[in-house]
Amino acid sequence: MMMRFILPLCAGFLSQTLIAQNNNAAQQKDTLIGENAITVFTATKTERKLTNVAVPVQIISQKTIQQAGSLRLSDILSEQTGLFMTNGFGTGVSMQGLNPDYTLILIDGEPLIGRTSGVLDLRRIAVGNIKQIEIVRGPSSSLYGSEAMAGVINIITDKSKMNTLGVTARYGTYNTADFGLKGSIRNNRINYQGFANFYRTDGFSIRPNSRERSIAPIERITQQHQLGYRISDRTQVSVSFRLNNETIKNNITVTNNGNAINSVGYEKNNDLNTTLQLAHKFNEKVKNTTRLYGTYFKSIQDLITDNGAPYVDEFRQSFGRAENQTDIQFSNRLEMNVGGGYIHETARSTRYDNSSSVKTNRIGYAYLQTEWKALEQLTLIGGARYDHNELFAAAFSPKLALQYKINPKLSVKASVGRGFKAPDFRQLYLNFTNTAAGSYSVFGSVEAQKIIGELNRLGQISSLEPAFYGLNTLKPEFSTGFNIGIHFQDAKWSVSANIFRNNIENLIDSRLVAYRTGGAQIFSYLNVKNAFTQGIETDLQYKLNKTLSFTAGYQFLLTGDQAEIDAINAGKVFTRDQNGFSRRMSRSEYVGLPNRSKHMANFKILYSKNAFFANARVVYRSRWTTTDTDGNGLFNTNDAFAKGYVQLNAAAGYEFKKGLSIQGGTDNLLNYTDVINLPNLPGRTFYLTVSYQFFNKNHK
Amino acid sequence: MSKMKKMILVLGIAVGFVACSKEDNGGSTNVVSTITVKDLPADTIIGITPGAPPTGGFPYGAGRYTFFSLESNKIVPASDSASNKWDLAFKGTTIATNSGNSGPGGAGAFVFVGLFDDLKTIPADSSFRVDNAPTAFAIPTGSNRAWYAYDGINQLVNPIPGRVLVIRTATGKYAKVEILNYYKGGTTPATTAPDAVKLSTQRYYTFRYTFQPNGTKTF
Repeated sequence: MMMRFILPLCAGFLSQTLIAQNNNAAQQKDTLIGENAITVFTATKTERKLTNVAVPVQIISQKTIQQAGSLRLSDILSEQTGLFMTNGFGTGVSMQGLNPDYTLILIDGEPLIGRTSGVLDLRRIAVGNIKQIEIVRGPSSSLYGSEAMAGVINIITDKSKMNTLGVTARYGTYNTADFGLKGSIRNNRINYQGFANFYRTDGFSIRPNSRERSIAPIERITQQHQLGYRISDRTQVSVSFRLNNETIKNNITVTNNGNAINSVGYEKNNDLNTTLQLAHKFNEKVKNTTRLYGTYFKSIQDLITDNGAPYVDEFRQSFGRAENQTDIQFSNRLEMNVGGGYIHETARSTRYDNSSSVKTNRIGYAYLQTEWKALEQLTLIGGARYDHNELFAAAFSPKLALQYKINPKLSVKASVGRGFKAPDFRQLYLNFTNTAAGSYSVFGSVEAQKIIGELNRLGQISSLEPAFYGLNTLKPEFSTGFNIGIHFQDAKWSVSANIFRNNIENLIDSRLVAYRTGGAQIFSYLNVKNAFTQGIETDLQYKLNKTLSFTAGYQFLLTGDQAEIDAINAGKVFTRDQNGFSRRMSRSEYVGLPNRSKHMANFKILYSKNAFFANARVVYRSRWTTTDTDGNGLFNTNDAFAKGYVQLNAAAGYEFKKGLSIQGGTDNLLNYTDVINLPNLPGRTFYLTVSYQFFNKNHK
Repeated sequence: MSKMKKMILVLGIAVGFVACSKEDNGGSTNVVSTITVKDLPADTIIGITPGAPPTGGFPYGAGRYTFFSLESNKIVPASDSASNKWDLAFKGTTIATNSGNSGPGGAGAFVFVGLFDDLKTIPADSSFRVDNAPTAFAIPTGSNRAWYAYDGINQLVNPIPGRVLVIRTATGKYAKVEILNYYKGGTTPATTAPDAVKLSTQRYYTFRYTFQPNGTKTF
């Protein structure tokens, strides 16, 4: 919150903002009316009023999170327009039709690490202490560097301006229990916020006759502490610490040709994040922030098979960063942010050549952003960032954005930017042979040529595939994103629409590069594909009166690979007719990238009167293709699809006079399940939450 | 294990029958007809090696090719394998031709990318490959190389659409073949089908072919 005092916003608005914020905290004011007061950090890496941001930003408020009964980050994101949760390697988020690999997840501006196969498991993140979630769509690499290709999700934790202490307890289906403790202390100089959360579940199995659970039994303990100290009116220092420990019981069955092998054991994941921040205001116009950030992720899977064979899989990753940013306000119309930093990143894994060898990457970067209010109605932003990588080619990511306010109710935004994602350690160093499933191997690009060359020398390679000769130093994946949006807002309505297009180059994909003698396949990673995603996101909010409001969201999405489309147009792609005879495939049969729904929608009814609230939230996803069953190597209407579905969630709560509140809810009321394609979606579940606020005082 | 024995028994019976059907090219001036062969067994699975991968757990068949004559549209007994009586031999996903070191015949083959019906004349400059088993067959083995793509996630073999096997027969005549399916009944099991179903129904070819008896390269 310190930035709110320092921020060189128009001075006239400042006091107004503060008052509105206090109202917000005390009364949990409705987000529609309160929107003028909402500030957003992520879009420009400086605090801005939401209405003054030139790129598409969505805010999910604390109230929305609480009233949806969300426990983990994935719960609340799954109800937002245009986002869907992916299965496999945890629960990831797909934004603007891009894979989870391409969305950067931040907590208070600092990146989370510990991705498995590119997916950051959003269930690792508890939402009990979140003030708001900021979702920026479109490439933001010009500020945030690697991974900010599809967008950025920044979790802003609660920084209360009061002395508070509250507890929450929740119990629900599958013995899912969640306990939270949250408190803050504040005086003129020092502020402290603490949060602790315990979560456990038995997990569930929607797969009949299987001892393997769709969601395994899990215990998670998260704690987070933040301590701020105001050295002077100009200088503030803060430290924060977050630790998440989770233990997942594993009972895994791997079936190969009908031959089942059972393994039991556990998986333990720990992630630790620490930040030290020093902010100094030289004068009214110049502010400097230094941030030191360190994070560590450790994952250990320890299994033993029925016949006594042990299996241990370890992965450790660390990420350290020093960053300095200077914000200079030249005039009321011109502001500049300039920054740079250094990243030291390491990883080691039993899946690399040698579990004791530590892989290292060092990155130096610098960025610059200028915001120019050319006219009263027109704001222009230009920015660029340069990342110099030790392990692979450098990345340059520029960005341009503008906002034009046609009138106080109506504004348009347009932006174009370049995002990138650096090859990860897995793509560089993986050295993994899956003995449980056909003995195929995957080698990282750095390893592949060396290992296959050696195997070839020993006569253990039966053939080299064409892709082998394409093995090269991996380049970062790039995307160029275009966003054009319009936003209308008055007392009752808020309507926004955004058209997007992302052109993605150099996509890294695994390719078959060789066969071993005996037929086992060897895969590696290459920059092979280009792809695009495009569509329109629309959000609509309508406030009927003080008690009742509606929101609706819809995303239309098209994806594809230009090379595939060219091949189809050239008549070189075939599928089969009902007799099984080959025929040419037409362009209209082309589906694009798998696992994407063309239509996604949500609809919410929110009722709130005095201390009572109730809501019903419907989320819809149209069918999506899962498997190329006609053998033509791309996805078309003749392939296998998962059925579209509707999920209905509802919740209601009541706040008693003396700090006590209760809330009950149900998720997936329609009991929709899909064993194969939605293994993480349980049937209907219920929960009951009781929370108690011991005190909640404004400090004097 | 009794289940496995039952499966072997069923497979044993099934091997005896191969359904063939002829369809007329009604109205066409062309005299050649296109024949669809259904459920041609190709070393069907009789068991799984004991143990777990990488040392065991692999399905296996009896290790025998099914020899087929395009000219007579018949399975040729294995005792005639050292003769010109067969053109193609099927074992799992491998299709051998009666050429090179696979047989004494003068067969050959190459893979044409395009539609079966569009291949009206074999181009004069086409070069037919011959077998050099086990490393290089005239019809290349392996996923995504000749006629099939292997879906490793679902463990299914899908014939690639738009691939025609252009065949020179053992006696030097020409034929074109399109593999339609690799599973019994001509239907690939669902990706979600149990492994037992995928194992017991695989290695049954359904294909259509046109054989030109007059020795020309025109169909």
